[in-house]
Amino acid sequence: MVEAGHFALVLAFALALVQTLVPLVGARTGNSRMMAVGGPVAVTGFALTVLSFATLATAYASSDFSVANVWENSHSLQPLIYKITGTWGNHEGSMLLWVLILTFFGALVAVFGGNLPATLRANVLAVQGAIGATFFLFILTTSNPFIRMNPAPIEGRDLNPILQDLGLAIHPPLLYLGYVGFSICFSFSVAALIEGRIDASWARWVRPWTLVAWMFLTGGIAMGSYWAYYELGWGGFWFWDPVENASFMPWLAGTALLHSAIVMEKRSALKIWTLLLAILTFSLSLLGTFLVRSGVLTSVHAFATDPTRGVFILCMLTLFIGGSLALFALRASRLTAGGLFHPISREGALILNNLFLTTATATVLIGTLYPLAVEALTADKISVGAPFFNLTFGPLMVPLLVVVPFGPLLAWKRGDLFAVAQRLMAAFAAALLAVLVTALFIDGTSAFAALGVGLAFWLICGALTDLAVKSGFGTVAPDVMLRRLVGLPRSVFGTALAHFGLGLTTLGIVGTLCFGTEKILSMRAGETVELSGQTLRFEGLYPSQGPNYSEDRGRFALLGADGSTTSEITSAKRFYPVRQMTTTESGIKTIGFSQLYLSLGDQATDGSVVVRVWWKPLVTLIWGGGLVMMAGAAMSLMDRRLRVGAPSRRRKPTGAVPSASLP
Amino acid sequence: MLFWVIAAILTLGASLAVLLPLAGGSKGASAAGDHDLEVYRDQLSELDRDAARGLIQPAEAEEARAEIARRILRLDNAEPAAKAAGPSTTTRLVATAAVLAVPLISWGFYGELGSPDLPSQPLSARLAKNPADSSVDELVARAEAHLAANPSDGRGWDVLAPIYLRLQRFSDAVAAYRNAIRLDGDSAARQAGLGEAIANAAGGIVSAEAQDAFEAALKLDPANPKASFYLAMGLAQEGRVPEATAAWQKMLSTLPQDSPWRGAVEQALSESANKAVAAGQPANEVDAASSMSPQDRQAMIEAMVASLDEKLRQDPRNAEGWMQLVRSYVVLGKADQARDALGRGIAVFGPDSEEARKFTAFAASLGLTATE
Repeated sequence: MVEAGHFALVLAFALALVQTLVPLVGARTGNSRMMAVGGPVAVTGFALTVLSFATLATAYASSDFSVANVWENSHSLQPLIYKITGTWGNHEGSMLLWVLILTFFGALVAVFGGNLPATLRANVLAVQGAIGATFFLFILTTSNPFIRMNPAPIEGRDLNPILQDLGLAIHPPLLYLGYVGFSICFSFSVAALIEGRIDASWARWVRPWTLVAWMFLTGGIAMGSYWAYYELGWGGFWFWDPVENASFMPWLAGTALLHSAIVMEKRSALKIWTLLLAILTFSLSLLGTFLVRSGVLTSVHAFATDPTRGVFILCMLTLFIGGSLALFALRASRLTAGGLFHPISREGALILNNLFLTTATATVLIGTLYPLAVEALTADKISVGAPFFNLTFGPLMVPLLVVVPFGPLLAWKRGDLFAVAQRLMAAFAAALLAVLVTALFIDGTSAFAALGVGLAFWLICGALTDLAVKSGFGTVAPDVMLRRLVGLPRSVFGTALAHFGLGLTTLGIVGTLCFGTEKILSMRAGETVELSGQTLRFEGLYPSQGPNYSEDRGRFALLGADGSTTSEITSAKRFYPVRQMTTTESGIKTIGFSQLYLSLGDQATDGSVVVRVWWKPLVTLIWGGGLVMMAGAAMSLMDRRLRVGAPSRRRKPTGAVPSASLP
Repeated sequence: MLFWVIAAILTLGASLAVLLPLAGGSKGASAAGDHDLEVYRDQLSELDRDAARGLIQPAEAEEARAEIARRILRLDNAEPAAKAAGPSTTTRLVATAAVLAVPLISWGFYGELGSPDLPSQPLSARLAKNPADSSVDELVARAEAHLAANPSDGRGWDVLAPIYLRLQRFSDAVAAYRNAIRLDGDSAARQAGLGEAIANAAGGIVSAEAQDAFEAALKLDPANPKASFYLAMGLAQEGRVPEATAAWQKMLSTLPQDSPWRGAVEQALSESANKAVAAGQPANEVDAASSMSPQDRQAMIEAMVASLDEKLRQDPRNAEGWMQLVRSYVVLGKADQARDALGRGIAVFGPDSEEARKFTAFAASLGLTATE
């Protein structure tokens, strides 16, 4: 029932408007009934959006080409999984997924927000409603996925072949969970600005939300990077193109937010800065959403063809980014600053982290938008590309990575740098050893490689040192140490895991960039090629027919030391007739943490085929590290500290403070 | 119908979500200070846990404890809790506005954007539905899919070719006829169809290629009217009007009385006669080709047209008749009267009617525009 889904979407828009206005007025006038409207409306709005999204997904699954959006992005011969993922493989559908996640998070606040002060809860839901209402209006007026066609065309135009991959099932939902997760942090910030005060429970709420959003965004970026790596057939894992940067900027800002929220929660300091970071992070998420799907500047460019969408996007960005920053400028001075601390302290370390991360974000932002702005204004095409980022982003990251192991070991308020350095001696020794081993035995020519490997080991061992020191390694008996290790707060494990994952990713990047080898050659069936100790034999090209494509599969045999085939790798060139597009399916063989990567090129008239072969040492660690970081965030989320109960009326407030603990 | 029921239920549910909290019993919200206290209390117990575990030094723990205690003391407990407001006028006003806004906005928007009468059309349903209910496009698409899978099904091509011709997809029709001939052999109907498709693909010009096809058809069936008609048309196009007229005359005499080709032949005859007159050809040539003098012919035609006109005045709701009348006037070269007839026809059915549109399109195809 396609039209029921369309109607549900319109109804959800109406509810989002109510959700914006009624609780907001209620919070201002202190009317508890009006404040209470936010919760049920948010949950109902979510239910309606689910219905709407499910309807569209059903239309995709059943190839209902009377829906124009389905006709444009689907084909009856596609496998069912790609029919369903095609729902969000286009602008309109992905916007619907976006609001689905937005209303989902709004409903979560409504359901689990019982322990929030009523006015804060009402204001958060109102801001969330305002974001929702704007997006619903955007979808309904400029990007409606429910436009119908009568009579229905008999066959669809097929989904973009690059998107016909399992990656589409995982990457956009994860990425959007990350982007939209930050909307909650944004709503909390704007709510605090509207109220003119930050409650103690504010930080306790914002931190888990930041963790959730950051966890999904990390996963989304890692997955997207791996998808680009194997699907595009270029063998690269990061291209610094605007679409990737669009997801990377909120990640950098979100990482800064994650750390500053710790300071705020523990020490009530950095309140105003945290607020600002939350606003900036979500603003970058918004920018990212539109850079990917429609392209902010492309839309500006395309005013002549479709002015409504571009103008709407610009208005939306102005409203939310400009509006929230203006509110910040007006209200920030009313917020009280927090506790004091010494520069050498955990707080100081986290501020250093924030400085580096925000500068890095700014660098990426400039590198991303500047070429687009130049192109929009002067029609000149300039390319900033990897050299710019390597020269600016790299030098900013290296000192940050060097100081990472110090942070968790410093004490709050007033730290002892010398003592921490002593504790890190073991990690430093390990890193030095790694540098020496690399320089002497693997590659003596590149100082960058040796130092990079050393940096990675420094991070990995630093994370382990954190755990060892906190469980009392070397100062207490082993059984006591083990008990203390198990009893450590989950958030300590989370920190260690995330920093450990960062080290793994660094190791993967350094390994792939410095020790990777590649060969491009023309091969005939039966010929062999050797690369970094791996021998491959080309068995030949075999035509094959898929459900909605035809392909030439190149079969390769990986030969063992005795010349026998140990395993087979296939890489294919696929042709999708509906879109008249060719894609390359890379052939990948994972050996340990490293990968052998094959990509077929064009076929010459004499029957030989261009083959690219890459040996990518430690490459899986890049994404493996991302998974470990996600695990760290999940671990932190399980910390009991993040679960604060609602005030109970039965307990006398004064009795809650143990008299012994009063000074 | 089902849609409206669903829409009504959804609207009701959404309105209730707004209404119930506004109408429901008011529970006094706890003051913000209570929440802060809860957090500080939790921080204290966390501090105790950390101190017990030896994660922080006793001196640091003491200092932190003092800091949290100071925050607790700073809490402004005097802050009033949110009013447990009774059903005040404002609440009632807001409640009414909010509850009304939900159906008004949603039905208003949906009315603009939606297609409530259009059912879902999943592929399986469209393929399973009775072919009698399918549109021609759907049937053609289905046949095309079938032929793409079984390209050697000659019967399929044979069925599809005339449909292509009807849909004015002439080059597809040419290919389909060729396939049918290749797979199922020659027949007069296929050859004549092929010729017609070739001629129409060329904008109505009967080329040598088309002529070959028509001649092949006549060889198989000398009485094939389509082939005879187009061959005569080809003669006329070459300027051999007398021969063409003779051929058509011969067709008229041999065609059975109910043959659908009679109309076409008569029209072609009158057109060629007019052309001959307009071209200033000697009357005797036309005369030789026709059994009637041009004046008599003209008079007869005009009489027929006049009687048709009269008939339409008596019984105006005859769309076919109006189109015939307009065409007749155009053929007679009386553009003004044709326009007048067109205007009257449109007036009968009303300017916004389906027929009026049909008339205008028809007149445009004759090179006639309605009077302003």
